[in-house]
Amino acid sequence: MSAVRLLLLKDLRVLRRSPLLLGALLAYPVVIALLVGLVAGYANAKPRVAWVDEDGLPPVVSVGGHRFHIGSVVDDVAQQVTLVKLSASEAAHELANGKVVATITVPDGFLDELGTGTSSPQLVLRTTSGGLSQRVTEQVQSLVYQLNRKLQSGFIATNLREVQLLEHGGKFGTYDVLGLDTMDATLAGLPQSERVARLRDFVKVARLALAQTGNALHATANPISLAQPKQKGRTWVLSAQVQSYGIALTVTFLALLLAAGATAAERDEGTIGRLRRGLVSLGQLVTSKVALAAVVGVMLAAAIAVVFGIVVEAGGVEGGEPWARLPLLLVGVALAAGVVGAAGALLGALAREARTASLLAVLVVLPVVFLGLVPRGALAAAWWVSRFLPFAHAVRWFSAALYDTSPWRTLGVETLWLLGIGAVLWLLAGRAVRTLSA
Amino acid sequence: MSLLRASGVARRYGDVEALAPTDVELAPGETVALVGPNGAGKSTLLAILAGALEPSAGRVECESRIGWVPQRPAHYARLTARENLELFARLEGADAARVDALLERFELPPDRPSGELSLGNRQRLNVALSLLAEPRILLLDEPTASLDPVQRRRVWEVVDDVRRDGGAVCFATQNVDEVAHADRVVALQHGRIVGATVEAAFG
Repeated sequence: MSAVRLLLLKDLRVLRRSPLLLGALLAYPVVIALLVGLVAGYANAKPRVAWVDEDGLPPVVSVGGHRFHIGSVVDDVAQQVTLVKLSASEAAHELANGKVVATITVPDGFLDELGTGTSSPQLVLRTTSGGLSQRVTEQVQSLVYQLNRKLQSGFIATNLREVQLLEHGGKFGTYDVLGLDTMDATLAGLPQSERVARLRDFVKVARLALAQTGNALHATANPISLAQPKQKGRTWVLSAQVQSYGIALTVTFLALLLAAGATAAERDEGTIGRLRRGLVSLGQLVTSKVALAAVVGVMLAAAIAVVFGIVVEAGGVEGGEPWARLPLLLVGVALAAGVVGAAGALLGALAREARTASLLAVLVVLPVVFLGLVPRGALAAAWWVSRFLPFAHAVRWFSAALYDTSPWRTLGVETLWLLGIGAVLWLLAGRAVRTLSA
Repeated sequence: MSLLRASGVARRYGDVEALAPTDVELAPGETVALVGPNGAGKSTLLAILAGALEPSAGRVECESRIGWVPQRPAHYARLTARENLELFARLEGADAARVDALLERFELPPDRPSGELSLGNRQRLNVALSLLAEPRILLLDEPTASLDPVQRRRVWEVVDDVRRDGGAVCFATQNVDEVAHADRVVALQHGRIVGATVEAAFG
């Protein structure tokens, strides 16, 4: 039996006999899964936006001859925000104290200007300058876009009614419109001549042209339309990203702490001297801690994935946990946990004492994780730093393994990154462990 | 012909010289006592001879198996005495039958976590671990500290056994009475050999 395997089994046995630590290890995945789920749920929640009606919009609005129930229309289009009707002063107050993230004001005269059809009235959007403002602005832009589409339908329907009046005739206010059908019939009853024939040709062409008007109006209003059939799918909270973050967070945190603690414990217990007397090489010692991190990481990740999977299946979500991908996920977990374990061994050797190592690991793991959460667009420097740390690569690996239709390219790239980072950390840990027995 | 020869071994920790360049030889059948006050360099010299600590300079030549009893018990507190012995027996490639023999010889409770043992029992386990590979050279760092008189006698019986079998023993002590077990004394002060008598070390 190799020295690495013997040390690994010893560390696992020691772990099993540490009831508090074992309890924490069992509870940790569940707690992390819940916390990440809550955070994700919050991120997914609709922000409150104040709706200030200074124009006194009636319940039913007639635009271009089309009647809209304004409340229903707004509710229908406000899918991404929760609109709260407030007065101008209340809205300003709630915006200032953060109870709403934005206000949308319908200014006085809005409806009159809309009714003219000759100019576009304005809704006024006010947001705070916090981190949500960009997101809220996008959502309100989406809301206005959706409102425009609703109103557009009304305007198009009105225009089409007038076109049909031209085609078939009828009443338009006080006017009695003859219509092309009647005109053609009238012309047919007249003595036929070249001039009458030319008029009948015109009527024929005009009827054909007007028949296309409806499609033309719709096409002009919506050069490209997006069809989005509704379907059942996994909820956002249990989606790939959240599960990937949950597992990566757990694995990073625990692998770092375990490897750091186990490495420093060799010095605390005085065994490093015994081991270094030709029984175990420095490389084998570091590798045993890497293996410990990988084994425990795989067990915890499997537990998290199974818990997620059970929740998804119990909720009847179609296309939920991709059970067939779990073996692939666990390969990535073993790799990522091993890399983080090498970092832990390095920290443990530098700290030289288990308690200090644990504290150091906690202090190190938080910035590593947060750097990995920073999107590239938010802070490029942080994103670049995170490229040389294992967390972000682990998240991408797990996400691709779980849900990408064709994950192999991503897995290949991220595997190379993790192996590279791991090799550097392993070498550094080996050098640092040399000082442990001093 | 010596069983172990150290030439110019030294150890520095930054600016602090824990052990000045030192030469030591252990001959077959010989017992050497390292004596000196705290911080004299006894433990450092023994750890270097045992291979547990890399010297900053010098080299150690040895063809025989070495048993090392560090000053502080060095085993896994959450493993039992048996598990500790089995683990190190496998790492050293020692005969598994040695585990039971040593448990019996040192009267160790086999199935209690070693961290829960008395200090004396832990020190006995410490000595037992050093004997797993049936070493010809035994290096002991204050081995009888925290042992009762009966257990002390057993340690010296172990020392006598190794010497009788043609091996060599080197032990560090601050107890001048224990020097009687040695054939030769090496006195250390401030990391240097200062003589070959107890008086030289503590004078």
